[in-house]
Amino acid sequence: MSTRSMLGLFQEPEPAADAMDGLKEAGFELGSFDVLTGVPYPEGAFGEHVPQHRLFRFPVFGAIIGFTLAIFLTAVTQLAYPVVTGGKPILSLFAMLIIMYEMTMLAAVISSVVGIIFESRLPNMKPGIYDPRITEGWIGVVVTFDDDSRIADAESVFNKAGALEIKHAS
Amino acid sequence: MASEVVATGQVAGHHALPAQIDADVVARELVATTMGASRRFKAIAWTLGILSIAGIVALVLKWIDQSDDSTRWGYVAALVTFLLSVTGGAPMVAMAPVFAKANWVRPVTRIAAMFSFAGVVTVIMLIPLVALLPPLVTEGARRRTIWFEAPDYSPHFWSTLGLVLLLFTGLALFYSAAIPDFASMRDHSTGWRQRWGKKLARGWVGTNAQWRTLRMRIGMFGTFYFLILVFVNFLITTDFGQSLVPGWRDAIFPMYHTISSLQAGVAGVVVALWAARRYMHLEKYVHVDAFWSLGRLLFALTLLWVYFFYSSFIVFWWGRSATDIATLDLLIKGPMMYVFIAGMLLIWFVPWWILIWNKVRRSVNGMAIGAAVILVGVLLDRIRIFVPAWSVPSDQIHERWLTKIPGTVYPDLFDILIMAGGISLAVLIIMLMTRVIPVLSVWQVQEFNLLAKPIKYMRGHATLIAKPD
Repeated sequence: MSTRSMLGLFQEPEPAADAMDGLKEAGFELGSFDVLTGVPYPEGAFGEHVPQHRLFRFPVFGAIIGFTLAIFLTAVTQLAYPVVTGGKPILSLFAMLIIMYEMTMLAAVISSVVGIIFESRLPNMKPGIYDPRITEGWIGVVVTFDDDSRIADAESVFNKAGALEIKHAS
Repeated sequence: MASEVVATGQVAGHHALPAQIDADVVARELVATTMGASRRFKAIAWTLGILSIAGIVALVLKWIDQSDDSTRWGYVAALVTFLLSVTGGAPMVAMAPVFAKANWVRPVTRIAAMFSFAGVVTVIMLIPLVALLPPLVTEGARRRTIWFEAPDYSPHFWSTLGLVLLLFTGLALFYSAAIPDFASMRDHSTGWRQRWGKKLARGWVGTNAQWRTLRMRIGMFGTFYFLILVFVNFLITTDFGQSLVPGWRDAIFPMYHTISSLQAGVAGVVVALWAARRYMHLEKYVHVDAFWSLGRLLFALTLLWVYFFYSSFIVFWWGRSATDIATLDLLIKGPMMYVFIAGMLLIWFVPWWILIWNKVRRSVNGMAIGAAVILVGVLLDRIRIFVPAWSVPSDQIHERWLTKIPGTVYPDLFDILIMAGGISLAVLIIMLMTRVIPVLSVWQVQEFNLLAKPIKYMRGHATLIAKPD
């Protein structure tokens, strides 16, 4: 069983939103269909599934790692070279705070950059079915499925919504 | 989704939107601006190219001839800080108003981000200055800098790294926002532009997830850019300015430099936008509203200049200690007094009286004149600061304050060629970038049209702007 894709092309956003509703009603799984646009329409404008992004996890985990490393670095170096300065304790929290803050922020920033690259899913090596008219303002509704018997269902939804063209790819 | 009604068209005509342009027309027309070049464009590009080569040759010759005398390099330092100000400050226009959900800025962001590429010139021009900057320990003693107990070449390393980091963050910011337009180039261009568009679009098809992460990337790199810009201004002004003058200690100066950098950046964007609008015939995409909004920003920054200048000046003037008097003698009353007066007039007084008028801010040409005056003023301001700073002989570096104010250093032929070449190269790079990608962002112009609709509001007309994010 091979994965097939179908692209319905619309010139106006309203019929594209109707097609998205139609696909939902026809029983296609959320996440198996998406909308392709040349302009960033407001999220949810087509009633599309908006998956939860995980970007916030990257700076949080980065910060935890940076903070842990900073404690390790400052503690180990001061214990390895135990020089008493001005009668202060060897592990002086206020002196350590600066390094801890800097390393926490550094790791959070670096992990944010890594996270955004990861979350961007670019380069997209398999862009899939596409039409250049999308960057001219046309709207594409792409649906992916494994079951060949669903071709007719998808076509029917696209035609009913008023697709100007339907493209197939396998 | 929130929305706002901007203004009535009857009262303020500059708010009224021109006729909506179809997305396919926007894509075709803006992609077409990259192809071919007018005879005027080619003539200007060749002239700038020749001046750029002359400038780089002059820089090399100056290094061969004068690398043993740092007091002769003040004009190169002034050029570096001027370029940092304009090319570093301009990309802020591509993000700060976007963060504030301004719709007018969408067609302006690309041209502002393009200034990042000209940051290459700043890095090139910095190279000889880094080589000439004295180490922290000079003649057996540590000179007064911000680098306490740091390795000897810390300013050399960190300032260069900061500037390079600013350059790459600016490029990342540019590229983040340019990916959908590279897809437009892939879909609607031909030849090498199409091939490069395909490579640089990285498989962009415009899914919901791709648009969402695009917004995140712009936000993230925009934030990083702002942080690095302030940091680099701080480093360059202290290491290549204050630390060379005995007794010059001014905590406000780095912020003064940053604020005037933002002012220069906005002025640079206004001039570039004016040129693009006029010579690339983009009147229907670049509305007067954009100039009006940039005008308010520029006016506010012009007023901030005088606030920061006065805040800095009053401490020295009121302090009256020997170091304060010497610093004022060097930077204001001394060798560059006339340049200071001219700079102050052109960076603040003249633009203030130009930009204060609503009629000027609502006009395209008036704004361009005001912005051009500011750019000249910022250049003079950098000359009056950094030429005297570099003219202090290295044998006075350990003094507590300047006991002998150096005389005026006039530019020699090398300096003139380097300054003309450096500025020409920066302009040339921006011009050449307009051959690679549309000077106005295709997707942002389309988004501008998508989110703004002219409506009838009670008995008047207004623009309804959606605020989706």
